[in-house]
Amino acid sequence: MQVVSLRSDAHAESDPLSGRKPASAMIEIEHVSQRFQTSGKQSHLALSDINLTIEDGAFVSILGPSGCGKSTLLYIVGGFVQPTDGVAKVKGKAITGPGPDRGPVFQEFALFPWKNVLGNVMYGLRQQGVKKAEAEARGRKLLEMVGLKGYENFYPKELSGGMKQRVAIARTLAYDPAVLLMDEPFGALDAHTRTRLQNDLLDIWDRQRKTVLFVTHSVEEAVYLSDKVIVMSRSPGSIKEIVDIDLPRPRKRADLLLDARFQKYIVDIEKMIDDGGKDDL
Amino acid sequence: MTARGVLKTLSPLFACIGLLCVWQVASLRLDTESFPTALEAIKAIPSILGDKGSLLNILDSIRRMAIGLVLAVMFSIPLGLLMGRIKAVASFFNPLMMIIYPVPKAALMPIIMLWMGVGDVSKILVIFLGVSLPIIYHAFQGSKAVEEKMLWSGAAMGMSAPMRMLRIVLPAALPEILTGCRTGLVLALITMITSEMIARQSGAGNILFNSLDMAQYDTVFAMILIIGAMGIVFDAAFEKLRLSLVRWSQPRDDMPLSFT
Ligand SMILES: Nc1ncnc2c1ncn2[C@@H]1O[C@H](COP(=O)(O)OP(=O)(O)OP(=O)(O)O)[C@@H](O)[C@H]1O
Ligand SMILES: [Mg+2]
Repeated sequence: MQVVSLRSDAHAESDPLSGRKPASAMIEIEHVSQRFQTSGKQSHLALSDINLTIEDGAFVSILGPSGCGKSTLLYIVGGFVQPTDGVAKVKGKAITGPGPDRGPVFQEFALFPWKNVLGNVMYGLRQQGVKKAEAEARGRKLLEMVGLKGYENFYPKELSGGMKQRVAIARTLAYDPAVLLMDEPFGALDAHTRTRLQNDLLDIWDRQRKTVLFVTHSVEEAVYLSDKVIVMSRSPGSIKEIVDIDLPRPRKRADLLLDARFQKYIVDIEKMIDDGGKDDL
Repeated sequence: MTARGVLKTLSPLFACIGLLCVWQVASLRLDTESFPTALEAIKAIPSILGDKGSLLNILDSIRRMAIGLVLAVMFSIPLGLLMGRIKAVASFFNPLMMIIYPVPKAALMPIIMLWMGVGDVSKILVIFLGVSLPIIYHAFQGSKAVEEKMLWSGAAMGMSAPMRMLRIVLPAALPEILTGCRTGLVLALITMITSEMIARQSGAGNILFNSLDMAQYDTVFAMILIIGAMGIVFDAAFEKLRLSLVRWSQPRDDMPLSFT
């Protein structure tokens, strides 16, 4: 099996024998725990002692039952939430807040309702001082890519869930973050659009070598896209297994569906999620 | 426009005419000197508006009302927005507002007059006080309700906290803020008249109560009509402005969809 058991300390260190540095770490999560104050004097341990290293340019997916802390982990890397314990680092520096090097795509889209579709996509560029014409050209190109050509002047209120999701993705891609933090970005899409956007995302990732942290509920999607799949368990949220996906790239969906190794990854991971998680959904 | 649409736009006019008819009939039946007929009141309007002194008085009132309103808007919106986003600001101002809220602002007029005289400053201050609270309250509610992920998105784009306040919280809370401003506008008119009724020196309220003292009842009722008309015109104009600013937040049906 390709399962790599969880290392007790995921800190990347140079190999003293060869003197060669391993692929540089983009994100390091060290002993991160997150405790939330709930109503009354009680507290809830959403994440417990998470250790994880994500290499520069890696595509890493997170799978796990609802409420196991996937979103919370993404927020910590994004700098939106400060962990109760431990540190998260990006490029070796402790994360103290959000920054344009890490672009989030939220589960709830969080589009700006007073801006139309094009305005939303241009927003980040405009904030960063990019000229209007340039931002607009880039915005239109991205909208075409996510299949929303012709909807530039629509307001978020007038869009379906799947369309909003695509605007949110385009809005984040627009300012070109080195790390993409995607929280179930394809959750609300129909199968056809989903496949198309998966391929587009792989394309972008391949061309621009972004680091992607990708939360999903679909095992197949995780295996198809990722170098590494992280399986989490709940109560408290912790990493159960890390699976290296050793499939050649570039990947073609049609080929993979017939590939026994692809199928085996899916079955293995589904088993992991099932194990001891019967009551977890 | 369809027949239905015409009917809909004209319905306020019908309401006005209906009200005037009821007035006319009631006044004819009661037949007391202190209750002139609607026609008599309407006939008295041109002589008020034609009189330079009265007209200047009314314009003076509008000027004070505008100054009080603008000052209140400039003060209340930032305060309300800050209260909605920063806990410390909210916990400082909330109790203060709870104390001030039920006090009729016009009741403060005598004290204010004592300190600041009967001139413009006192009247503008009372209008300011009367208008501020609803605007602060609505800005506060609007700002508190801004989705946090929207602010996070802005932060990830590299926007600073003041920038997010100005370019995310403000537009996101705008529909709620403008609802507060609409209430504020009507309150400004009310407080304006009340202040002039207490500090009798000039203004529309002064004309009204002077003519009451002199038993010129048709002028009294004509003034009420003028002030009422002012209220309706201001409110309608503001509503037009409001709708043009927050078209994006209106339900789907209200907005024409178009592919362009
Ligand atoms: N702000 C908060 N205050 C209190 N508890 C919270 C807060 N945010 C998250 N939690 C709790 O932390 C746990 C993890 O939440 P999180 O949203 O990260 O789960 P998730 O894995 O993303 O779930 P899903 O798949 O449903 O999106 C949950 O039990 C949730 O109730
Ligand atoms: Mg989540």
